[in-house]
Amino acid sequence: MDHTELTKYILEKFPGKIELLDTGKAEPFFKISADFLLDFCRSIHSDEKLFIDFLCNIGAVDTGKKFEVVYSVASVKNHIRFDFKLEQEYEGAEIDSIQEIWAGANWHEREVWELYGINIRNHGNLTRFLLPDDWNQGFPMRKNWDAPDFVRMPEQ
Amino acid sequence: MTASKALRTEEFLVNMGPHHPSTHGVCRFLLTMDGEVVIKAVPYIGYLHRALEKICENRTYPQCLPVLDRFEYCTSMSCEYAFCLAVEKLAGIQAPERAEYLRIIMVELNRIASHLIWFGTTALDLGAITPFLYGFREREDILDLFEMTCGQRLTYNYIRIGGVSRDIPSQFIPKAKEFIDKFPSKIDDYVKLLNENPIWVVRNRNVGILPPELALSYGVSGPVLRGSGVKFDLRKDDPYSIYDRFEFDIPTGKYGDCYDRYLVRMAEMLQSTRIVKQALEQLPEGDIKAKVSPQFKPPKGEVYSRIENSRGEMGIYIQSPGDSKKPLRVKMRGGSYNHLQVMPEIVKGGKIADLVAVMASMDIIMPEVDR
Repeated sequence: MDHTELTKYILEKFPGKIELLDTGKAEPFFKISADFLLDFCRSIHSDEKLFIDFLCNIGAVDTGKKFEVVYSVASVKNHIRFDFKLEQEYEGAEIDSIQEIWAGANWHEREVWELYGINIRNHGNLTRFLLPDDWNQGFPMRKNWDAPDFVRMPEQ
Repeated sequence: MTASKALRTEEFLVNMGPHHPSTHGVCRFLLTMDGEVVIKAVPYIGYLHRALEKICENRTYPQCLPVLDRFEYCTSMSCEYAFCLAVEKLAGIQAPERAEYLRIIMVELNRIASHLIWFGTTALDLGAITPFLYGFREREDILDLFEMTCGQRLTYNYIRIGGVSRDIPSQFIPKAKEFIDKFPSKIDDYVKLLNENPIWVVRNRNVGILPPELALSYGVSGPVLRGSGVKFDLRKDDPYSIYDRFEFDIPTGKYGDCYDRYLVRMAEMLQSTRIVKQALEQLPEGDIKAKVSPQFKPPKGEVYSRIENSRGEMGIYIQSPGDSKKPLRVKMRGGSYNHLQVMPEIVKGGKIADLVAVMASMDIIMPEVDR
C-alpha cells in the first residue's frame, strides 16, 4: 500500500472521525479526537489490511496553547507507517492508556505523564522514573516551566 | 520434624546497580529473588537524564547536532544522520550524491564499531577478556578513519543538515579498503573464539528467549527483533536515503535467545562491510553539502523519521512552528528504551547470572534510554 492508497483506506474506514493533516511530508498524518483513541488503536491493530503491530513512538508537544500527543505507528508485516495525533487542553489533560494494544506504550506514556503532566487513564504504574523520586518542581517539558537555578542573560 | 519446617525460606530484594559493571551505564534493577531465581525485576532509570530534548528546544537546528551526538555515543554518526534526515524531510532539502554516499560509509563503519564494543563488553560480562581486547583493536582502526576525516573519535559532529561537514582526506579510501579487506578474517577469529566455546554456549543458548509476538508488542527492533526470527530491517523494508542501491542480506535468528542475538550481530558486521565496500566503489565526485543557512527556518510542519541504528529503530520526531529557527519539539526515540522495557518479562524465572547475559545481549546503552 503506498501513501495515497493508505490515506484513502483509513479515511474511508473511519468516516467523519478522522481528519487528514496537511504536513506536506511523505507519510500520512491524521488527527483524531481523544475519546476515539482506544477504538481507533484497536481497529488499526486488528484490521487485516493495516495490521499495525508496532508502536514506534509517543511524543507529547506543548504548542504554547494546548497539548498535542503524537503517536507514530507502523506495521512490520505490511510495511506501513503513519502518524496520528490528538489535542488536549491545559486544564485536566487526560488520555487513555493504549498498553492493552501495544505493551511498549507503558514507558512512553509514563514519560508523557511525568514531563508534561498529562494524566493517563488506566496506566497502572504512574511513578517517577526520569526525574528524581522527590521531584516537586512541576512539569519541566512545559513551555511555561522555568528552571529555578537558571538565569537568562539579558538580550543584547 | 521435616526439613521444610526446619528451614524457613522467604523472598528477598536485591539491588543491582546503578554502578554494577554489567549495566553498561547507570541502570538499577530492583530484583525480587527466591534463592538464585529472579521472581520479579523492576528497572529504574533516569540516572543519566540530561534533558537533551529540552536543550534542543532552545537551540537552532544546526546547533542541535552536538546534542544529538550525546544521545547515543556509541553510534554518534547514526544520531546525527537520523536528525539530519528528519530536518531534510521537513524542509525538503536534498543532500548531494557524494554526501549521501559519505554518510552511508560513516554510518555503516560506525555500526561495525558499535557492534565491536558490544562484542567486547558482552564477552567481558560473561567472563572472557580476550574478545574485549580484540574488539577494541579493530574498533581503533575505524576510529582512526573517523579521526582523519573530522578530527573526533567519539562525538563527531560530521553529518550536517544538507550534507557532511568536510570531504574525506586522500588517504581515507585506501585505509578504509585495507580495513574492509582484512575485517572478515578478523570476524573469523572472533567466531573461532566464541562460537563453540562451551562456557559461551551454556551461558547463551536457551537463555533470555524473546518470542516474536512479545518483541513486537513491546516495540523491540533491530538485531534483537531479528534474533527472534522477524526479518525486518528498515534499510530494506522502508529504505531511506540510497540504501536501495546496495546489495546486502538481513541475518535472522531462529530461537530468539542470547546466542541468536550474538550470531545476528556477528553476521550484521559482515553485511555492513559489504555495504561500505560497494559504497566506496560507487562513490561519485561532486559537492558535499547543499547550501543551508545556519539561521534557516523550516516550514511549519511535523515529521517522524526513522533509521536503522545498531540498536534498532532510531526515530526523531520534530515539530517546526514555521516562523522560528528553533524547533518547537524534538523527541528522540532509541531502540534501548523499548529493549529495557521488555527485559523484566524475559528474565523472570531465570537465574540472576542470566540477567547479566540477557542485558548484555540486548545491547542496552543507558544514554539512549535516559536522554
